[in-house]
Amino acid sequence: MIPVRYNLRSLVVRKATTAATSLGIALVVFVLAASMMLVSGIDRTLGAAGRADNAIVLRRGSDAELNSIIDVQKVGLVAAAPGVATAGGGPAVAGEIVVVATMNKVGGEGFTNVLIRGVTERSASLRGALTVVEGRAPSPGADEVMIGKQIRGRFPGVDLGQSFELKKNRAVKVVGVFTDGGSSHESEVWGDVELIRSSFGRAGVVSGVRVRLTSPAAFDAFKQSVEGDKNLGFEALRETAFLEKQSEGLRAFVTALGASIAFFFSVGAMIGAMITMYASIANRRREIGTLRALGFPRWQILLSFLIESITLALAGGALGAGAATALKLVSFSMMNFSTWSEMVFTFQPTPGILGGAMAFAGVMGLVGGFFPALAAARTSPVVAMKG
Amino acid sequence: MSTQIEVRKVVKSFERGGQTLRVLDALDLQIEEGSFDALMGPSGSGKSTLLNLIAGLDRPTSGEVIVAGASLGQMSEAAQATWRSRTLGFIFQSYNLIPVLTAQENVELPLLLTNLSSAERKRRSETALRVVGLEQRMGHLPRMLSGGQEQRVAIARAIVNDPAVIVADEPTGDLDRQSADDILTLLQKLNTELGKTILMVTHDPMAAERAKTVHRLDKGRLA
Repeated sequence: MIPVRYNLRSLVVRKATTAATSLGIALVVFVLAASMMLVSGIDRTLGAAGRADNAIVLRRGSDAELNSIIDVQKVGLVAAAPGVATAGGGPAVAGEIVVVATMNKVGGEGFTNVLIRGVTERSASLRGALTVVEGRAPSPGADEVMIGKQIRGRFPGVDLGQSFELKKNRAVKVVGVFTDGGSSHESEVWGDVELIRSSFGRAGVVSGVRVRLTSPAAFDAFKQSVEGDKNLGFEALRETAFLEKQSEGLRAFVTALGASIAFFFSVGAMIGAMITMYASIANRRREIGTLRALGFPRWQILLSFLIESITLALAGGALGAGAATALKLVSFSMMNFSTWSEMVFTFQPTPGILGGAMAFAGVMGLVGGFFPALAAARTSPVVAMKG
Repeated sequence: MSTQIEVRKVVKSFERGGQTLRVLDALDLQIEEGSFDALMGPSGSGKSTLLNLIAGLDRPTSGEVIVAGASLGQMSEAAQATWRSRTLGFIFQSYNLIPVLTAQENVELPLLLTNLSSAERKRRSETALRVVGLEQRMGHLPRMLSGGQEQRVAIARAIVNDPAVIVADEPTGDLDRQSADDILTLLQKLNTELGKTILMVTHDPMAAERAKTVHRLDKGRLA
């Protein structure tokens, strides 16, 4: 076999073209890996809050809590359904209201929607990982809220000990900051359900009811009971399935955007790799002819130049994947289309994403290098004899 | 002595601009085993074409070429490549060393087509470099060597697989007189001491003088 060091050193000798081609491939891999990491971050943010033994009840036909309305008096019917767990001497059920408020961003960067959640005393215990990390939970009935870690300081007054207006002339004080395992709740403002209802004119209703079941297996009986009375118009969903549905739109958008950009960039990068390899092979025709004259068969020449092209692409891939991994340090906000509110996401690199991005780089090297390698393999050994 | 190279009624034609150009015209040639033959002639006389046919790099339009007992016209392209790697050693006018490989790695190249172990390949390539007097330059890249030294490395590469025949295409064409003399002396040594059959194409009468037999080609025929 032709030694791989021949290809590696040939790449090093042609530093400028090798670097330019690698950078082109690095850009493609960066875009692809970054979008995949963002999708992973979205899954983590929107999916982390879900528990298999939790259910959520919405008005039938509502895709999200935001456009669901349930009469608060009917929350008791949900609490009485079979399979509902008990906690603290009562059913583990919380009727919550969800609204969005428009807030100005810090630094005059425009405005955006923030999700405001009216909660009961049981709401926190229905989330597996919710912890008040600074301050305390708001007192029932008081004009107090607590805020998710991700929106802290992003809006004027939205920080511990400060105050902001939920609605015009309805100021609330931030008394606590909470985390929830990186879930979407960390981009929300939580206040007492009565405070939020009265502030936004939603008296007598909740958006949805969160329920802790005795076990994941209890869901079917619970669903049958809750949806059995058609007059109520309820729909019961597993919390995990509900959250997955919430992320569908955003996930599809980011995936499509990332894949589209990566596809068009990859065509350019493959053409770049092809041009580089064609130029390199044209400069090395006598070397290739010599290898053929010495007895190296065509397939070994083909393989050798494919290895060179794939190595070139993998070097770019490693650079792109490395740069995309550095995005882990960055968090940024995007509109969640299901709640029409701003949500903070982080890029989540995983071994699968990095492996996939490198494989994509390898495929670019293979496709971009195939025809030049074929041209090299077809070089006549007579070329070696020409001075 | 047996016949090592036999060329029988070989015709080689090329199509150029819609016309057929007959470069070799029913040429016959015999070279004995262990001889050192030079092939001379003006440009366009067919020297390089004949060398390419004998080296199994090209095929005749008609006729037969037999080298070391093998009829090259009967072989597939892949079989010819294998045959070249086992039977022939090449020396080129421009040395044709791989610029990114060291002298030792260049010499080792033909052995990569064998089943020899890495250690054995290294040992043989070092021996070949010792034969050409470059044992001190094994780790040098071609650009670190003089023209004469590069051609010696090429000669080491040509003999490392112990070939039956060495074909040399203008081996001194790019060298100064002193280096050319050294290379020719080395080729004579390979012929007399190691018994290698050598066929050398050259324009240089002084180089041809070193051969045991000189063949002159003119318009595709032996003069």
